[in-house]
Amino acid sequence: MKSPTVRAGRILDAHLHLLDRQVLDVDDVPVTTVDDLELSDIPVDTDLDGVEAPVIVSLLSGAVLGTRIFGGRPPSTRWHRVPWSSLVELGTALKVDAAADDLEVSWPERWVRDHIIARIPGGRHDPE
Amino acid sequence: MKKLFAVALGVLTAIGGFVDIGDLVTNAVVGSRFGMSLAWVVVVGVVGICLFANMSGRVAAVSGRATFEIIRERLGPRAGLANLGASFFINLMTMAAEIGGIALVLQLVTGIGPMLWMPLAAFAVWIVVWRAKFSQLENAAGLLGLSLIVFAVAVVMLGPDWGELAHQAFVPTVPASEQPSTYWFYAVALFGAAMTPYEVFFFSSGAIEEGWTRKDLGQERVNVFVGFPLGGLLSLAIAASAAIVLLPQAIAVTSLSQVVLPVVQAGGTIAFCFLIVGMLAAFFGAALETTLSSGYTIAQYFGWSWGKFRRPAKAARFHLVMIVGLVIALGILLTGVDPIAVTEYSVVFSAVALPLTYIPILIISNDPDYMGTEVNGRAVNALGLVYLVVIVVAAVAAIPLMIISGAGA
Repeated sequence: MKSPTVRAGRILDAHLHLLDRQVLDVDDVPVTTVDDLELSDIPVDTDLDGVEAPVIVSLLSGAVLGTRIFGGRPPSTRWHRVPWSSLVELGTALKVDAAADDLEVSWPERWVRDHIIARIPGGRHDPE
Repeated sequence: MKKLFAVALGVLTAIGGFVDIGDLVTNAVVGSRFGMSLAWVVVVGVVGICLFANMSGRVAAVSGRATFEIIRERLGPRAGLANLGASFFINLMTMAAEIGGIALVLQLVTGIGPMLWMPLAAFAVWIVVWRAKFSQLENAAGLLGLSLIVFAVAVVMLGPDWGELAHQAFVPTVPASEQPSTYWFYAVALFGAAMTPYEVFFFSSGAIEEGWTRKDLGQERVNVFVGFPLGGLLSLAIAASAAIVLLPQAIAVTSLSQVVLPVVQAGGTIAFCFLIVGMLAAFFGAALETTLSSGYTIAQYFGWSWGKFRRPAKAARFHLVMIVGLVIALGILLTGVDPIAVTEYSVVFSAVALPLTYIPILIISNDPDYMGTEVNGRAVNALGLVYLVVIVVAAVAAIPLMIISGAGA
């Protein structure tokens, strides 16, 4: 169920309401921070009459953070995406409808867990 | 009854958890060199930490967002990253200082050199962070830290000239033996020690760890506005004990054994035992808080899963950061640097970094998107702005004063 905060037509300031906000999964587990946004393409060097305005396709994370700070543009193969369509709530944090472990962006978390943290005794247990 | 118990527990842990090695060493050094003439700085610092800790706790409880998420959100990735670098660096220094402090206390008791104790202390900190529940680690460290009240008892037992102490405190003058630049250097250091940023990172993240909401704000206010000032009184007692015993003999504090001296002179072995327990608990508690803060700041900047309330596998990178942080802190200590010197530098650099932390908190606590109806009142904002000026002045003056005064030499 999408919350009314993501209804179409709501006016958002990308800088103010989207960029650098926390993304939470369906169980409120932090997934990433919105490092950048991917917009749909518009044709270059042609008359824009009748061309639809670009829309946000996905929230980005990973290498794009480095380029947002230092400039440049990483190849799109290195973008980690959270599809905009999975967004269900848009408040002081952005909530998506998937579990963190099922999202592509969470692979470093899973890597560190599987290779390091889960192998240390007690790593899979609740604190006592 | 249960409610009353919870309130009392919160206040007691706030008192016991207030003093860390930075407060202890800086207050003792200042007391031994300047008497009570810098007591006003402790008061200014305590009011400041009350104001901003309460603000960050309220933001966390109402919006569910911890301090470093807010810093990134408001400052953007670039300034946020610079802030993260500075905060993490200072936090590492403080971590090293606290772990070194544990080792020095154990050396006082056993006579065995601190190098042996440092790895053990770091490992103990890690085990607790890895396995213990958040509330338990906070309560145990805070309650045992209350033993530091022995400083206040010692001040009374020493039977000081109260009029003279009050005169030093209320009519502050720079002692003839000291330069004004040194006086102001220590003023900034004391201010930095009282307002250390990690306390705010820890406080706001702790509010989320314990699942605080709007209705817990009453308890939060009591903890801050009763617990912190009483903890500040403890800081003043440390300075007073040094002012009474060490100042007349012109002993400037350079080691932990000199901090202990006035208490032992006043209360003998029993007081010494209380002091050892109190210092161990205070340093260990602060080592836990700084270790957690290193994880909190990085995880919150990058938006990773964090928190003691999750099992380690559910916050893997958060735990990895803390392990790496502890290893680096231990590495710093094993180079053989004096933990007391690390402490003194850490509080000065804390003062430099203060605006980076406190400006975003002040902005967000006025944002109705985050706070709804709980935005700051006018009085809080007025006081916040006054403090902002003080904080910026202290931050700008810290490094020049350090150079001019030769780091207080």
